[in-house]
Amino acid sequence: MSDLASRLAALRRQAGGVAAPVGARLVRDSFSRGVEGATEERAAGLTAPTASRAGRAPTPGAEATSARLAQLRRMAGVRERIAQPRAPLRSFTRDVPGDELSPGLRYLEQRFALPVAPDELDLSFARMTTARRDHLLHFDTETTGLAGGTGTRAFMIGAADWYDGALRVRQLYMTTMAAETSMLRAFAEWIDADTVLVSYNGKSYDAPLLATRYRLARMANPLSGLPHVDLLHPMRRRYRHVWENCRMQTAERRLLRIVREDDLPGSEAPRAWLTYLRGGASTDLVRVAEHNLQDVRSLSGLLVEAHGWAALDAASPAGDEK
Amino acid sequence: MAAYLKALRSTESDAVLATHHDGRTLASRLTDKYGDRVCSAFTVFGREGVFAPLPDDLPPALAGALAARGIDRLYSHQQEAWEATRAGKHVLVATPTASGKTLCYTMPVLSSVLEAGAKALYLFPTKALAQDQVAELLDINRAGDLGVKAFTFDGDTPGDARQAIRLHGDVVVSNPDMLHQAILPHHTKWAQFFENLRYVVIDEIHTYRGVFGSHLANVLRRLKRICAFYGVTPQFVLCSATIGNATEHAQALIEDEVVTVSQSGAPSGDKHVLLWNPPVVNPDLGLRASARSQTNLIARVAIKAKMKTLVFAQSRLMVEVLTKYLKDVFDHDTRKPARIRAYRGGYLPTERREVERQMRAGTVDGIVSTSALELGVDIGSLDAVVLNGYPGSIAATWQRFGRAGRRQQPSLGVLVATSAPLDQYLMRHPAFLTEASPEHARIQPDQPLILLDHIRCAAFELPFLGGDRFGPDDAEPFLQVLAESEVLHREGDRWEWIADSYPANAVSLRSVADGNFVVVDRTQGRQTIIAEVDYSAAALTLYEGAIHMIQSVPYQVERLDWDGRKAYCTRTHVDYYTDAIDYTKLKELECFDGRNSGEGSARHGEVHVVRRVSGYKKIRYYTHENIGYGPVNLPDQELHSTAVWWQLPQTVLDDAFRSRQHALDGFLGAAYALHTAAIVAVMAEARDLQKAVGSGDGGWSAQVDASGRGQIRAPDGGLALADTLERFLPTVYLYDNFPGGVGLSEPLFHRAPELLRHALATIDGCACKAGCPGCVGPVLAADEGREDTPRALARRVLTLLGATA
Repeated sequence: MSDLASRLAALRRQAGGVAAPVGARLVRDSFSRGVEGATEERAAGLTAPTASRAGRAPTPGAEATSARLAQLRRMAGVRERIAQPRAPLRSFTRDVPGDELSPGLRYLEQRFALPVAPDELDLSFARMTTARRDHLLHFDTETTGLAGGTGTRAFMIGAADWYDGALRVRQLYMTTMAAETSMLRAFAEWIDADTVLVSYNGKSYDAPLLATRYRLARMANPLSGLPHVDLLHPMRRRYRHVWENCRMQTAERRLLRIVREDDLPGSEAPRAWLTYLRGGASTDLVRVAEHNLQDVRSLSGLLVEAHGWAALDAASPAGDEK
Repeated sequence: MAAYLKALRSTESDAVLATHHDGRTLASRLTDKYGDRVCSAFTVFGREGVFAPLPDDLPPALAGALAARGIDRLYSHQQEAWEATRAGKHVLVATPTASGKTLCYTMPVLSSVLEAGAKALYLFPTKALAQDQVAELLDINRAGDLGVKAFTFDGDTPGDARQAIRLHGDVVVSNPDMLHQAILPHHTKWAQFFENLRYVVIDEIHTYRGVFGSHLANVLRRLKRICAFYGVTPQFVLCSATIGNATEHAQALIEDEVVTVSQSGAPSGDKHVLLWNPPVVNPDLGLRASARSQTNLIARVAIKAKMKTLVFAQSRLMVEVLTKYLKDVFDHDTRKPARIRAYRGGYLPTERREVERQMRAGTVDGIVSTSALELGVDIGSLDAVVLNGYPGSIAATWQRFGRAGRRQQPSLGVLVATSAPLDQYLMRHPAFLTEASPEHARIQPDQPLILLDHIRCAAFELPFLGGDRFGPDDAEPFLQVLAESEVLHREGDRWEWIADSYPANAVSLRSVADGNFVVVDRTQGRQTIIAEVDYSAAALTLYEGAIHMIQSVPYQVERLDWDGRKAYCTRTHVDYYTDAIDYTKLKELECFDGRNSGEGSARHGEVHVVRRVSGYKKIRYYTHENIGYGPVNLPDQELHSTAVWWQLPQTVLDDAFRSRQHALDGFLGAAYALHTAAIVAVMAEARDLQKAVGSGDGGWSAQVDASGRGQIRAPDGGLALADTLERFLPTVYLYDNFPGGVGLSEPLFHRAPELLRHALATIDGCACKAGCPGCVGPVLAADEGREDTPRALARRVLTLLGATA
């Protein structure tokens, strides 16, 4: 076996691969242990060994581990022939906005005069009654992808509410994975028993995702049981046959007359964050924060719009878009 | 037409019957009348029942429910299973078919639901079995008004029902693929379920073998890991058919000890088994009548004797042909309800449920089926089982025979041999069937690529911490490779998932499933879907011009939309059916490594395997004449995989063998022996690792044809003679039957000397004279007297390749 090992090692060196000798432990069970007394084998002359998998060989040492790694890499390579080109190194910035609340957790707060909202808002468009202005919390998350399931997480949570006479926008985001728990904890503190949640497609996407993250972090889910106004559905009901689509940026443009400049599309957000996480530039991550900020601001604007529909429809029964 | 009328008027069967029959009397009658065709007749004796009272600690409500269904005492093995599960152990129930295995797990599960609100997960290999189970549970629930909520959770479960099942289901009945793809990666949605999970029941574990079984073992590792996250250690209850190593297999799957219950206390009647060889019709050429003619005869006799009969055929096509013949006899009055039904995959689920219902109710007298009915779907009891051809394994044979037998009544089982060499070998050596122990199930869950796939899925479900193990070893090397391919991010001691992908979608537990085809009936302007065909069978049954049969009603395929996965057909009334001609060829793409092997060489690398359907034959019913051919113009089925191969140089072959045909026969025999040694070595199933003999440049390929002779096929599919080839460099290939390979070939290459040695030892130690299914493959009766037997030829090839005794 050592003759074989050295020949293979020589071949490997020739091919420029890992020079570690191929350990005899690469295949875990010995041949004789695999052979059983079944007729099809008629294992003549072989002792009938225990084919049970108890009594395995001990874990291989570091040498065999690295040989195993090389084997794995090559085997995995047969199936995924993707060559990842390495990006050339450039100088870039790693500055990120906001204050660090705890290691890896950053916080941004800003205030805006608009939109203005009355003390109580009519939620009949959402088939609910009314809500007090200071109970409303508009929220939106930025996530690592759309795949769903337990492998997707939120890396940024933005929330807007009316506080102290202005629209306050707070944003939490993490720069390390380990900060997720503190981010979830901080967000939970923004919510109390009277909170009314406002989102765009949040009932199907953001809320279940956060529920999963809280569950994995073994924390109680602060969002469960709260009233939740998902503006996507009322928008669809009213404008489905009028607008080209009911995406939030379409509603923003048509109802609030807001057009974004140089906005980073939501689909690029995962990559922006991953780039920063892996030690790359923070430029795009900053743009994600701006995108998220505008999202929750517009949410509040759309809510005020929708609040006005009931009155509008009562005044002119053929309720039109302005 | 004449042949058909003759068959209808046949009094052959009537002559056999006088009065009412049971298995024993019919077996002896058939033996008396057709003694020359019965190669062997034996009896498996039944046994008396061994009973036990219902346990004291059974919840009264459940005892009441069981009593309402007529169960007031248990069989001994059911009581054993009860004691073991209540004692908190993992249990394996390995009693034969139809011994009441279900109650072994139903009782503990329902008791725990009633006593403690505990939850249970059931895993079945097919949806049909799953639905059967739920129906059974709901019956017991109703009988005792227990309030237990049981649901199936599979691909057909509608979206809005899923949330209700997650929150409120007490018993969730699913399958391994669903667990792998839908439940585990969304485990937070199932948090309540997992927190209260007490039992995991896995039925038919003998089907989880080879690569499929290795995948399941890893899915169970992920399941246990997630249960640990919720603070739970579930108890496993496993059921298996009779295989040679049930306990070992169960322990390998769950990586823990099990208590085995194998002595059945259920009473059973004697089973009378006949091995039946069709008579020789042409003594000069040695041709025998077809197996289907004999199966037809035996089934007719049994059904006329008022015995409920089940016929197993080896292919879907044969199911349709046999059904047609039997329907012509028994169902010619279409006003009356059908007495003969066919059953196979490819029929729509509603149709299959209907047939199962009718069988249970006893309104159907004869059923013709593929292996789809081998597994435990409850179809009531039958009196006779006829096997049209040897199913390929001893375990499957007994599993099928096990379908017959009601309580104490004697039943009949007949195995009819086809002309295939293996079947004929069995007829000459019945001891191979009766005295051999059933095959063993093997798995290899630590195969690196399989492990990598599942660690990837596990990392998606829950992050890994440094030092975490997966299976028996540290997961670190795998986590490192995954981090390098940028799906994991390492931060300090934690490895977290960061890619925007859903790994479970990329891992299929079973081999290639590239999109099912639907068959659309276009007769008279209709557009109804009448059947489904899976990808691998599509090229063989849905080519343009093919006659595709559903319940023996023929439809002709007019157009095949390959990319759209649809076949359009029209009802037809022709008097023939079609049979496709296909072959496989292999081409080396890249050689990773190689070395000398005796006077030849051994190598491993990437190969390209092509399976082509070159045309089809038209065969008339009853006479089985070949009345024409048709072309087939379909894309080849290609497989890009890894393989290990052996070769000998032409000069060596010319010196060692009298003719090229001899060398070819030797290679085919050596391929068989090496394949057997290899699948044992890597704990694979025969279908996971395929063998092929050919020339490595994709030139010619060789197979053992239906007459047992080695045949060469030229690249265009036509037959060729060995002597006419310019270069003759036969090569034995063993390749992974999975796209991209699954990690079987490389270890085989490293262990090539051992494989050669063991293949040689198998041949040398074999008690046969000229060759047999146990060493080089079945041989023709004619070859048994040859000087250069297939066995000797194979031995020579192996020795030349360097095998040492």
